[in-house]
Amino acid sequence: MGAPFDYSYVFSFLPKLLSTLGVTMLIVAGSLLVGIVAGFLVALPRLYRIPVLNAFSMVYISFFRGTPILIQLFLFYYGLPEILKLVHIDLSRAPVMVFVILTYGLHTGAFMSEMIRASVTAVDRGQVEAAYAMGMKGHQAFLRIVLPQALAIAVPVFSNMVIALLKDTSLAFTLGLMEMTGKAQTLGNITQHFIEAYLALAFIYLVISFTLEKLLLRAERRLMRHEVPESAARKRFRVQEKLSYRRIIAGIRPEKGGAEL
Amino acid sequence: MKIDPSFIWAAFVNLMSAIPTTLLITAVSVTAGFMIGLIAAFARIYKVPVLSQIATAYVTFIRGTPMLTHLLLIYFGLPVLVDALSAQMGWGFKSSSIPMIWFAFISFSITAGAYMSEVIRSGLLAVNRGQLEAAYSIGMTTWQALRRIVFPQALAVSLPNLSNSVIGMLHGSTLAFTVSVVDINAQAQIVASTNWKFFESYLAAAAIFWGLTLLIERLTAIIERRINLYNRGGVA
Repeated sequence: MGAPFDYSYVFSFLPKLLSTLGVTMLIVAGSLLVGIVAGFLVALPRLYRIPVLNAFSMVYISFFRGTPILIQLFLFYYGLPEILKLVHIDLSRAPVMVFVILTYGLHTGAFMSEMIRASVTAVDRGQVEAAYAMGMKGHQAFLRIVLPQALAIAVPVFSNMVIALLKDTSLAFTLGLMEMTGKAQTLGNITQHFIEAYLALAFIYLVISFTLEKLLLRAERRLMRHEVPESAARKRFRVQEKLSYRRIIAGIRPEKGGAEL
Repeated sequence: MKIDPSFIWAAFVNLMSAIPTTLLITAVSVTAGFMIGLIAAFARIYKVPVLSQIATAYVTFIRGTPMLTHLLLIYFGLPVLVDALSAQMGWGFKSSSIPMIWFAFISFSITAGAYMSEVIRSGLLAVNRGQLEAAYSIGMTTWQALRRIVFPQALAVSLPNLSNSVIGMLHGSTLAFTVSVVDINAQAQIVASTNWKFFESYLAAAAIFWGLTLLIERLTAIIERRINLYNRGGVA
């Protein structure tokens, strides 16, 4: 199958693949944006236990976590125009990118809402009570006390979600979008050097996810500054231990997969 | 194109025939992945000289790249390797005689192994070190202590993550269509394009996957309740 393996192709493919990096990153950034908005909208009813909306959120989360992203992509790509046609909105000319970002956004939103809920509930209830006792209002307590602490808790999970999203974007080629994986396939088809093309592709994904992970780890360290334990001698040991354990737990994507209805 | 609700049921019935393939891919990749993961996790926990570095590189590579690239690399790379090897050894074995589904089995097992190794490692690390020491102090050997004391507790801790991995592999098995294995997703594509009813077919496929996922969650919950019996706390 294909031409004999030739090292030099891997290097010549790298710049060609990198030319489509922008498309992949656009999908990641766009869906993160959609995902954060959707995640908050879905998490709030669950956090404040709003009767009917709560059930809605649960079904939403269960659906997006319970079905494969590939199926969701096809479902939205083919289904959304038909549903919107019933209310006389014509989407048949909308670019594929819109559907891709929307699907990945809503998919990420489900995981994002679970992340938000978990990190907010992980903040000690006493913190909010102390804030109230000092005379803070509801939104003040949330913005100044709960949010910064919840952020620090959420970062490792968030970091994994971004990397999972990056890897999931490799499926967008199934809708004919020319992102990195699609480009690698085209390059392989033209030159018949498939292995080299996919090796170059894997290398680029590896470098990006590695960089993202390191960047977000730095963000986490910064956000964890406030956690100063009792004595300086125990500090180095304890915090590191706790941090590294949390990282392992977050590393296995406990938030990925699962439906929990 | 109009939405045809009755076709959803027709597609659903049609897709049922592909459920065994999906479940088989999932079961094989989870089982083989668990074995690989166990080896990789132990190599890293016990810091076995060369093995632990290999395991770390393996886990980093697999977790940093999409599952699709693993499948494509195996699909295009393995035949080349196998053919070169069999030519050298004179086996007379041709890579073209490997059934397509084996590419999915091999590649998904490799993917699952990396994720599983992290699940197993975190589960083992979560067991208190004192448990192992207590087992030693009553005269157990390392193997006995691991088998009777550490493994059951580690399993209980990592059960939710294991179930997530299984669900992840179930969802990942949809990629098998790229190597022309007819799983639920591929069957949905076939049904969709022959009847020109894309939305209905994928809706049926989504329903099946949703059902399977909920089933796995339910089963996990039952096993979890059973397995955590020792850990109840309280007085009675």
